[in-house]
Amino acid sequence: MTSLLDGAKRLVTRGSDLGDRVQGLGRASEAARGRLDDDVVDHADETAERVARRLGLTGDHTVVAIAGATGSGKSSTFNALAGVELSSVGVRRPTTSWATACVWGKEGASELLDYLGIAPRHQVMRDSLLDTGKEDQALQGVVLLDLPDHDSTEVSHHLEVDRLIELTDLMVWVLDPQKYADAAVHDRYLTPLATHWAVMMVVLNHVDEVPDNRRQSMLDDIRRLLDADGLERVPLLATSARTGEGIDALRYAIADRVRAKEVTRARLEADVRHAAQQLSDVTGTSAHPQLSKQRITALEDAFAEAAGVPTLVEAVEAATRVRGRRATGWPVTSWISRLRPDPLKRLHLDLGKDSSEFTGRGRTSIPTATQVQRARVDAEVRAVADEVSAPLSRPWAEAVRRASVARLPELGDRLDVALTRTHLNTERMPVWAGLVRLLQWVLLVVAVAGLVWSGVLLIDPQLGVDRPNTPDVQGFPVPVIMVLGGVLLGLLLALLCRFLVGATARSRARSADRRLRSAIGEVAEELVVTPVRAELTAYDAVRDGLAQALR
Amino acid sequence: MTVTPAGTQMLAALVRLRAALQGVALPLELPGVQEHRTAREEMVNQLEDYVIPRIVTLEAPLLAVVGGSTGAGKSTLVNSLVGSVVTESGVLRPTTRSPVLVHNPADADWFGADRLLPELERVHHATHDPHALQLVPLDVVPQGLAILDAPDIDSVEESNRRLAAQLLAAADLWLFVTSAARYADQVPWNFLRQAAERSAAVAIVLDRTPTDAVDTVASHLARMLAARGLRDSPLFVVNEATLTEDGILEPSHVAEIRGWLADLGGDAEARAAMVRQTLEGAVRALTRRVHTVADACVEQAEAAERLRAGADAAYDAEIAKLLEATADGTLLRGEVLVRWQEFVGTGELVKTLEAKVGWLRDRMVNAIKGKPQQAERVSVAVESSLESLIVERAEAAAEHAEASWRTLAPGQDLLSDVGEDLGRASRGLRRQAERAVREWQQDVIDMVRTEGADKRTTARFLAYGVNGLAVSLMVVVFASTAGLTGAEVGIAGGSALLGQKLLEAVFGDQALRSLAERARRKLEVRVQDLLDEERHRYLDLLASLGIEPGAADGLRDAARAVDDLRYASVERTSLHSY
Repeated sequence: MTSLLDGAKRLVTRGSDLGDRVQGLGRASEAARGRLDDDVVDHADETAERVARRLGLTGDHTVVAIAGATGSGKSSTFNALAGVELSSVGVRRPTTSWATACVWGKEGASELLDYLGIAPRHQVMRDSLLDTGKEDQALQGVVLLDLPDHDSTEVSHHLEVDRLIELTDLMVWVLDPQKYADAAVHDRYLTPLATHWAVMMVVLNHVDEVPDNRRQSMLDDIRRLLDADGLERVPLLATSARTGEGIDALRYAIADRVRAKEVTRARLEADVRHAAQQLSDVTGTSAHPQLSKQRITALEDAFAEAAGVPTLVEAVEAATRVRGRRATGWPVTSWISRLRPDPLKRLHLDLGKDSSEFTGRGRTSIPTATQVQRARVDAEVRAVADEVSAPLSRPWAEAVRRASVARLPELGDRLDVALTRTHLNTERMPVWAGLVRLLQWVLLVVAVAGLVWSGVLLIDPQLGVDRPNTPDVQGFPVPVIMVLGGVLLGLLLALLCRFLVGATARSRARSADRRLRSAIGEVAEELVVTPVRAELTAYDAVRDGLAQALR
Repeated sequence: MTVTPAGTQMLAALVRLRAALQGVALPLELPGVQEHRTAREEMVNQLEDYVIPRIVTLEAPLLAVVGGSTGAGKSTLVNSLVGSVVTESGVLRPTTRSPVLVHNPADADWFGADRLLPELERVHHATHDPHALQLVPLDVVPQGLAILDAPDIDSVEESNRRLAAQLLAAADLWLFVTSAARYADQVPWNFLRQAAERSAAVAIVLDRTPTDAVDTVASHLARMLAARGLRDSPLFVVNEATLTEDGILEPSHVAEIRGWLADLGGDAEARAAMVRQTLEGAVRALTRRVHTVADACVEQAEAAERLRAGADAAYDAEIAKLLEATADGTLLRGEVLVRWQEFVGTGELVKTLEAKVGWLRDRMVNAIKGKPQQAERVSVAVESSLESLIVERAEAAAEHAEASWRTLAPGQDLLSDVGEDLGRASRGLRRQAERAVREWQQDVIDMVRTEGADKRTTARFLAYGVNGLAVSLMVVVFASTAGLTGAEVGIAGGSALLGQKLLEAVFGDQALRSLAERARRKLEVRVQDLLDEERHRYLDLLASLGIEPGAADGLRDAARAVDDLRYASVERTSLHSY
């Protein structure tokens, strides 16, 4: 795009907004690439490129092309304007096979002729000819092209005309009394080029063959046809290359247009406008709505459900409960719970602190999304695309839809990764649980000690004779108190802690839910929301660029 | 009127060919279809305007159509040939918009509205109506010859171009007018190429030629004619000259053509030969062109078939997936499973299975108070899950079908022509799916009710109620293919097993199997119907185009019949001549 920028810069220095327009068109076509029909985008792209290239060339020359049907006297007119026989004229049709160029003012023209693709043997530098009359001053800076015909049996001529018509700054269409109403010129050139009316002139040649009293009515008739083509404001001149009638008028008309230096710009602007309008027609003009917060939330919910977040959250709660009870329960019974499987272990989620290192390899065994869940995900994704693309034109709506589903195949993996990366906070129990555990063991030890003591007393009563009396508290022997107290307090503590563990489990479940949802929200953002927004950004870029090009 | 038996056969064959051509539909936008449509149109027109009337009246006057570019001087030439102004000439283009037919008064009968060019209205005054044919009887014209001044073939007036092509297709002899400025134009040469292809009789008039250019231009034109297969066509040169006050050329300028036409008028045999040559050439070219149209028909039928197959494949695949999902236990996860477990859990199923009659009273209370509510929750869960599944599969099918159509150019055109967005499921689908699922649930309830008519009073039946049993049946149906593996058997399969046990206990093994089978069949039918209706949006669109697979064969048969008769008549003439 350097040539484009160069051209734009040069134009800016020349004090014109055409550079902006070209840039706008370039940006629009770049953003539209792959989203709109390739033909339209290619055309816009080529136009931007070509216009930029033309802008980079000499600003002192104006390319004027003489086009018309075979036998209408293009070459004669060309010769008459040039003042010398440069192009061969003849009665055999078609006469001219190659475009010939006549250049007034050689400085910097060779680049331009190169751009036009005119071979050196078909170029004539007017400077190099000896006679430099007054007429030549008038046409200073003109590159006059004599085009081949567009309607003969030689198809190669048509192609050459089509190519050069694209590149010229000012088109002079030569009609003649026999052929002025031909479909070949009106339907193939004049009507489609109506957008370029500002850089066109129409000449009725061979006017000497028309009886004087009929001339005006013929000119009126041509005017009528031109109006029907949408060329109301195009000037119409009558000439005769043979008698020289009207040739001076034509020369001055061309010279006027060239001197104004507006033709090149007008031509290029018409090109840019035309391409931008085409692009704008398929793009449409309506603004798009932004993705609503509710839509994204609904999408995240569907993702969360598909990822099995509710299952996981339940598992977190259950696991915390199990572990909490194991830690805080009465040691004698709590070992039994170890026989039951840990819900989180079963889901392969509890990888401890190293969990993040295993992600990508270890897959969770949360049941894969069922078809029902998957159907809900698809429905939500569709709803996202629908919401933003409702007012868009069809190609754009399709682009949005494509973008919204493009990354869904990754969904399963990405959700899994998101789940395993999320820290569930289940492996460590709170500090109080450790204290409770210690207390439980102390109580157990006390109870066991009491038991042993009582056992010793019961098994060997004789020993008791020698010993001091068993201490008692208000009549209850201490060993019995130790046993009963240890057991009862332990059970009571376990019961109390059940409530605490339950509360902890619920709060952990809540925080796990929050964390999981935020991880899944990121996945939804990356897989669906971002691609959709990228399309919308491209849409905005295209509309913005087009607005600049069409301003 | 002398139509030979062979002629009658030929006529019948041609009429059949015309009908076959008219019956052909080329609605799909395939590459080149526009040409084929035009070709078909032209062929029908030529048959109606020229071939069929010509075969009926072989001895009618020879029709020489003066055609050519605008501004070449056709009208001036016609006026000069007959020596008076019969058709308007002028400097404004295009001049002639309505055809003018000049004929001998004695031949007037031949040009009635039921003959050549039947759709043009006959008038006797100058007009600009392109649908009118002005008849001018003049004694100057030799009997057995008529001259028709046609509009131009290449001006901006599209109606002129079409009419000119139609008139030239109906000509026995082309008097093709071109000028020194025109003779290398592309459009006239396209016409001349057609004339050469069907070996129509052509005479070229090089008009408006400056005297000094005559030799160069005439020899160049002659070479071009020879190179393009028109070596035998006579070439007349008319110099550019000032017109008389009447706007016609001096008789001396057109003496050559006049003489040639007068000779032709005097020589009935030469005329008949010319008529036959052009007619036979026209028929030959027609039957040849029919095959390209027939090929286009085949292409259309193939393209339509591809489109149909694309839509079918998309819907078949999604229907298969949907049916699989309703049978392999996938529905028994998530919400349905939770509700089902609640249902069986509160029902203390195990106890029920033991069927202690003593519990009867409790069960009854339960049945009245709690169960139906629980069963209702299961069936709501079933409904919403099934519904989302159906809708999503229908959306996917529509999307895939649309994608398959978008890969084909005619499919794209059909999609953009049709009003609604076929890439989405139809708008009322969610409601329809909801209804279908409810109706199916009603079916299941009815089945349970009928089947259990004689078991109404049994404890288990009462314990779970009709609704509860119906829900169990649904669960059994959803796991009917039981493609469950590993841990899933534990969850989904287990729940289904529980339902199965329950139903077996109520209805018996055999009855349950048939019950489940029937319920499943009913679900399949409903789902299939629903998606088939969706699919029909595509198929109806195709059907509305009216592409018949046999059209091409009918066309070829008709063309072959004409060809056979043509060969037979050629053989007969050659037998006569030897």
